[in-house]
Amino acid sequence: MSDAAIIVDSLEKWFPPALGGWRAFLQPFTPPTTPALQGISLEVKQGEAVALLGANGAGKTTLLRILATLLLPTRGAASLAGRDTVRESAAVRRQLGYHAGSDLGFYARLTGRQNLFFFGRLNHLSDDFSARRIQSLSERFGLVGALDRQARTLSSGTIQRLSLIRALLHQPKVLLLDEPTRSLDAIAAADFRHFLKTEILAGKGTSLLFASHTMQEIELLADRVAILDEGKLLAFDTPTALPARTLSTTLEEAFARITGRKLYSGGESTPE
Amino acid sequence: MRRILRDIFLFFQRDLRIASTYRSPFILEAVEALFGAAMFYYVARFVDSPALREALPQGKTYFAYSLAGFVFFDYLNAALDTFDRSLLEARDAGTLEPLLVTQVSLPVILIGSAFYPFAATMLRIAVYFGWAAAFFNFPLGAANWPAVFVVLLSTLLAFSGLGVLSAAYLLLFKRGNPAKWFILGVSSVTGGMLFPVGILPPWLQIVAHLNPVTYAMDAMRGALLNGQGILSLGRPLLLLLAFAAVILPSSVAIFSWALRRTKITGTLTHR
Repeated sequence: MSDAAIIVDSLEKWFPPALGGWRAFLQPFTPPTTPALQGISLEVKQGEAVALLGANGAGKTTLLRILATLLLPTRGAASLAGRDTVRESAAVRRQLGYHAGSDLGFYARLTGRQNLFFFGRLNHLSDDFSARRIQSLSERFGLVGALDRQARTLSSGTIQRLSLIRALLHQPKVLLLDEPTRSLDAIAAADFRHFLKTEILAGKGTSLLFASHTMQEIELLADRVAILDEGKLLAFDTPTALPARTLSTTLEEAFARITGRKLYSGGESTPE
Repeated sequence: MRRILRDIFLFFQRDLRIASTYRSPFILEAVEALFGAAMFYYVARFVDSPALREALPQGKTYFAYSLAGFVFFDYLNAALDTFDRSLLEARDAGTLEPLLVTQVSLPVILIGSAFYPFAATMLRIAVYFGWAAAFFNFPLGAANWPAVFVVLLSTLLAFSGLGVLSAAYLLLFKRGNPAKWFILGVSSVTGGMLFPVGILPPWLQIVAHLNPVTYAMDAMRGALLNGQGILSLGRPLLLLLAFAAVILPSSVAIFSWALRRTKITGTLTHR
């Protein structure tokens, strides 16, 4: 029995090209010709944090969405907590907490608390359990004052924190986070990283797979880093081994050497 | 099964909560219903004649006949419209993806999200008939209520299948509701909403006889206006149930295929 929380085996994902005009009617039947993931294989161990690092379009979100059962792979297989993401998607969803990195995803006319209770109930949590979790997580994220306001009145950073609470509400074994601190201010982002490090990862057995463009975040949280480029896995090692392997002084420089791209401070990368 | 019903109720509860944050729509709709009922009453007074009453297959006045047809059409509209509208709202609000990673399957999300709009439509219908009975002498006392209930349920089963097909179309093509356009468009002429299908030219009467809306409309007027019981409505009810037996499983299969297709093409949440 493997101790892996996530196993990705020779995973491929191809998308059909986007069609416009009257040809859009053919879109659902168009054969996939654009590669998004090309033969990715990796494992995330129980309790391990793995970062996905890559330029826009590298395949990070596609990989997370396949693991979250929102996409079907073209070839290959993926499993989460020992369950196949295609054949046992309901069992997979029981084990995962997913944060898409979007500022949307809540009912604008409901309060933050009502939204969280609703999603808790859909995950078959008791109201007592949800109430305790919502209270402790919102205290932890400084959201208590915002919980009883309608979601439409909340800032994008607050919505982002609400979304992170939703992902954590049912104490999932595996967390899939797509750019979890994108809309957070510097203090909230640092606080969230600290929370993940000390209260979710440290000895708790929860596994984390997250996509990020922030080197500081990756270096703080990740046990290993998967570098993706144009759907291919170019390197998979610890944040200290990657620079050593490439004779680089920083992870950023290692990324640039491995992918042939340069990463700017804003997170955007371009071919060198 | 209990869990599925509980999940469906959660969506009803959610929609009720959201609706309660808007104060005025219910009052405005109730007022609109009063004016709607008044409009049918005065149109009927203008066109009513002994010859017209003689020509009506069901109901004793053109007011009762036309109002029953119009209100029932609203109900059909809800059956055809609700599923794809709830899917569209979830997609546009960005809640579809978070819903899909919960323990609840998309069919349950779809049915749950349709529950409140159906309940709201039923309430709107009740208000329409309430005004019509209170102010314009609509013959509610003539109705056979168990038969009305059975007709509404059979109609819901029959036309929800088309609503689910529309939702499948929306998943694949992102906009449009061809089932609604086709069924309501054709039925506004051939469904017997405001006039008996007997006045149509023969070729349109053939279309009318192939259209399940015609049977649903006949059965509803029979139960509501003529007090017909379930047994005497056997033929239209059986035809509606036969239509439901074919269309419901087919629509669920097509919806499942469309959902799988969007997970392959990566367009599930695309607009």
